[in-house]
Amino acid sequence: MKRNDGFGPEIQRYLDGDGAAEVPADERARADLLAEAARAYGESLPPLDARLDDAVMAALRARTPLVAPTGWRWFVAPQSVRIRPVLVPLVAAAALALWFLPRGAVQDAAPTSGAVAAAAPHDTVFVRFDLSAPDARGVAVAGSFNGWRPESVQMVRGVGGVWSVTVPLAIGEHRYQFVVDGQRWVPDPTARALVDDGFGGRNSVIVVGPKGVVRS
Amino acid sequence: MSGSGIRRLVALLLVCPAALAAQGPDVPARLADRGLPPELAQRVLVVAQSAVARGLPGDAIADRAIEGWAKRIPPARIVAAVEQYAVRLGDARDAVGQAGIAVPPPEMIVAAAEALGRGLGPVQVGAVVHAARTPGAVAPGLSVVTALAAEGLAPDAAVGVVVAALRDGRSVEQLLDMPSNARAMRAGGMEPGEVGRRMMRGGGPGGERPGGVGPRPQGLPPGMPPGMPRQGQPPSPGGHRPPGGG
Repeated sequence: MKRNDGFGPEIQRYLDGDGAAEVPADERARADLLAEAARAYGESLPPLDARLDDAVMAALRARTPLVAPTGWRWFVAPQSVRIRPVLVPLVAAAALALWFLPRGAVQDAAPTSGAVAAAAPHDTVFVRFDLSAPDARGVAVAGSFNGWRPESVQMVRGVGGVWSVTVPLAIGEHRYQFVVDGQRWVPDPTARALVDDGFGGRNSVIVVGPKGVVRS
Repeated sequence: MSGSGIRRLVALLLVCPAALAAQGPDVPARLADRGLPPELAQRVLVVAQSAVARGLPGDAIADRAIEGWAKRIPPARIVAAVEQYAVRLGDARDAVGQAGIAVPPPEMIVAAAEALGRGLGPVQVGAVVHAARTPGAVAPGLSVVTALAAEGLAPDAAVGVVVAALRDGRSVEQLLDMPSNARAMRAGGMEPGEVGRRMMRGGGPGGERPGGVGPRPQGLPPGMPPGMPRQGQPPSPGGHRPPGGG
């Protein structure tokens, strides 16, 4: 046996009790000597407590994991998900329903429900409103399309005192009036006919089609 | 995720749209948001709740009150107006019901009420409702009737034009283009009666289309006056005159 090479295969077979191992006599004697020394050392050690295994396992069970799977760690850590394949089309159908149905609900719930809006919000036409009011300090347009909020659509004064603004309107019918100087509500003079607003005034009506706008 | 968790998720996804659709806008919150005094808001809410109990759209009541408050109408007149409007909504619901729709959607009731308020009779409203192939076509149909009447067509003629178009299956977009076509024909010097006859035959401002009422070719109607909008271009009305001397 060489010092730095450890036991050779034949020596290991001999130490493992293989009597057929081919080991020279001098090597066998040294191996026996080492084996006897190891056995004597083992016998000199104090005996282990018989309850050691139970104590170690109990300590492991009571030990808190070093990284709790909470918060962000839960999202970034790999997780096992069990899904029944039959539920996949149901989830897809529900997602489609979520995508389509609430749009109509939101549209119905809009404050402009007084307008006879006839199409989805994306079916809009840019409509220009004009009013000649040279002496006005400010003009706005308010109607069923903006919840009758004059402050939401302010018009801009142009040449000759003509106030104008361009508003995207959903195709359909809308009622409106101009608001001059924040307090005087006036119908659109270019509208062909006016409708009673129920308060003693007259609303202008605009019918917005894909290719045309009629103020009636 | 467990099987029961998946089932809960699926149930939630299925229920959410229905719940959202059933949710109406909060009328008291809307009235308060627009600054209506509590006493006025309460009186409007009573009218709205009474309307809802009769199957009428309470949101339309709130809209009318908000319009009045924005116009600085005295509260007493606002209450009177919304009460009158509720009556008209009931008449509209009856007119629609007589046309065969037992539970009309709110938009249809509102559109019918607007039509009644602009001079159409229950029979005329019912004719449009009856001719519409889809509930969504009723509101634009009624709107077009009144718009055509504003162009000078007799109410019965306007109803006839729209009923024919609805029975022919014209789209909402095509319906809503009819007033501008009528305006163009009127601007070209055509008498209202001739406008009605031409539209009944499916003709536009450029002439009659063989085959009567039906889907007409898409495109910009020829002969539109300068005030009519072009696609992708804001419409610009014709002349201007000061409003009420302002």
